[in-house]
Amino acid sequence: MSRILASVSLAMLVLTVAMGLKTVVTKHGDGSFVMANGTAPAPTLSQKNGPDPLPAPWKNGPDPLPAPW
Amino acid sequence: MSGSVSYVILFLGTFLEALVVVCAVRRKILKRYFFLNLYMLLCVCVTLGRYRILSQEGLTSLTYRYFYFYSDAVLTIVLFFGLASLYAYVLEELKVERYVRLGAIVLLVGTAWFSYSVVSQSSHRILTYFAFELSQNLYFVGLVLTYALWATILKMRESRTLLVQLVLSLGVYFSAGAAGYALTNLYPNLYTASVVRIEPIMGCLLPLSWAYAFWRVPDDARLSPARLAAVPR
Repeated sequence: MSRILASVSLAMLVLTVAMGLKTVVTKHGDGSFVMANGTAPAPTLSQKNGPDPLPAPWKNGPDPLPAPW
Repeated sequence: MSGSVSYVILFLGTFLEALVVVCAVRRKILKRYFFLNLYMLLCVCVTLGRYRILSQEGLTSLTYRYFYFYSDAVLTIVLFFGLASLYAYVLEELKVERYVRLGAIVLLVGTAWFSYSVVSQSSHRILTYFAFELSQNLYFVGLVLTYALWATILKMRESRTLLVQLVLSLGVYFSAGAAGYALTNLYPNLYTASVVRIEPIMGCLLPLSWAYAFWRVPDDARLSPARLAAVPR
C-alpha cells in the first residue's frame, strides 16, 4: 500500500514540477508551441494561441452591414 | 530555411528513424525496447503523412496544421511510454515494474486532466486545444522525467552503456527544445533561426544517437559510474 501511495505521490510531484517548469519557460512566451516530434517543418501559425484557424475578420461585429444610403 | 534544405532534413530524419528500427530488428531487441521502436516507427509514418499533405496543400494549409499537431500529440504520448519503459529497465532489479506502470498511468491521466482544465476555461474548440496542450504539457513532463531518470541512474550506479546512451540522448533532445524556446522568448529575433532551423536538426540527432546505440553498442558494454559524474562520497 505504501508503495502505491509513494508512486502516486511521485507522479503528482513530477507533474507539479513539470507544470512549474513550463510556467517559467513560457512566462514571456507568445503561446506558440515549444517543441514537436519529427523533422517535418513546423506549420506557419498566423495566430499564437494554438493551431485553430483564425475566425473570419469582422470589421464591425457579427451583424450584417446596413444598406448604403 | 529554403524548401530544399527542409526536405533534405525531413528525409534524413526519416531515414535515421527507420534505421533505428532496422538496427533494433537486426539485434533482436525490438521487443525489449518496444515503445522506443514504436515511437520511431510512428515518426516515420507521421513524417511521410506530413510530407504528403505538405506537398499537396502547403505549409500554411489547415489540413497540415491539424495533422501536424494531432500527430504530434500521439507521438508525445508514445514517447512518454517509452520513457516509462526506460524507468522499468533501470529499476528492474528492485522489482517495482508494477509501481512504475501505475505511476506512469497516474502521471498521464494527471497531465490530461490538467490540460483539460486549462483548455476548458479558455476555448470552445476543446478537442483541438486539448491535443495541443496535452502534447506540450507531456513534453515538459518528459523533460522532468528524463532528468529524474538520469539522477536515478547515477544513484543506482547503472552502468549499462546502451541504457545510458538512450537516456542521455533523450535528455539532450528535451533540453535543447526547452532551451531553444526560452531563448526565442528572450531574443524574439532568433525565433526563425531557432525553431525553423535547429529543431528539425535536433530531430535528426535523436534517431542518429539511438541508431548508433542499437547498431554499435554491445549488450554487455559497461560504463564505470565514476566516469559519468563526480558523485560525492
